[in-house]
Amino acid sequence: MEFKHQRVIVTGATKGLGKAIALSFAQKGAWVAANYASDDQSAATTESELSSLTQKYLLLKADVTSKNDVDKMIKSVVDQWEHVDILVNNAGIIRDKLLMFLDEDDWDRVIDVNLKGTYLCSRTILKTMIARKFGRIINIASPSAFTGRAGQTNYSASKGGIISFTKSLSKEISRLGITVNAVSPGFISTPMTESLNQDIKCDLLSRISMRRLGQPEDIAEAVLFLASAKAGYITGQVLGVDGGLI
Amino acid sequence: MEEIINSNGKLCEFLKKMIIDTLRLEDITPGDIENEASLFKDGLGLDSIDALELVVAIEKIFNIIIEDEDVGKKAFASVNALAVFIQDGYQRALKN
Repeated sequence: MEFKHQRVIVTGATKGLGKAIALSFAQKGAWVAANYASDDQSAATTESELSSLTQKYLLLKADVTSKNDVDKMIKSVVDQWEHVDILVNNAGIIRDKLLMFLDEDDWDRVIDVNLKGTYLCSRTILKTMIARKFGRIINIASPSAFTGRAGQTNYSASKGGIISFTKSLSKEISRLGITVNAVSPGFISTPMTESLNQDIKCDLLSRISMRRLGQPEDIAEAVLFLASAKAGYITGQVLGVDGGLI
Repeated sequence: MEEIINSNGKLCEFLKKMIIDTLRLEDITPGDIENEASLFKDGLGLDSIDALELVVAIEKIFNIIIEDEDVGKKAFASVNALAVFIQDGYQRALKN
């Protein structure tokens, strides 16, 4: 069990990539604190799946854009589990619109959840990691951060910010035993991508060198790798897991 | 701990050992660190990342939080400055 007794917090952990990441860590022996914002139904389903894999899990409802919520969430984990080894900043949203129609709320909300959430969770987790001189922070970026995408000025800006944040934070704390990296997932098979019409799907696939969508588990494996001892000398990096999209 | 905090001399010695242990400073003894010498730059040569480790250590040992960079700069100016900062923080905590 590669991550036996390691304490992990995954934000946005009750759906999609976050859920795959949380479950993968649980399968490998980690104690998993699964954060979610509001969908209690998905959270209940994820809890059921987590409980079949481990007795050491927590379900944490918290808004990652709220300093109060994040402080309480991390304090709750540290109070119950003494420390945190790994933080996966996965919580993220999209609100795609062409810039001309992108109102302030659409801009602010995406930047807040994706980028500010990453900042708040990382900042709050630092003390427990610095105290133990060990930590793994893994952020979720996107190919959109590198290439841009029409309709995603907000999303790509947030993910570009996450990449810069990852590199800057790694320069601050890597010498304290804490690595900071990012994973950039390409197009991943989800109910949403599977439901796209055939023309859009064909266009998507034609842009991917491997000519297929990725699976959530592909991303989870990359996150687990960066969290593992094998990645102990990797910091400040962005690992593209996109089938050759970019 | 109260006895140490209430004695400036004992507290300064404690803090020197804390700095050496926390930052894993090899070949430095408490006797090598003067109470009034700067901890950063020309003095002990610590940097801002070293300060992060000391902030965490101080919170753990004394339950005093340094959240503001300016407050931190003043507190870490020297061992003596840090001792005074901790004594002030301790007195405030007692009153509350």
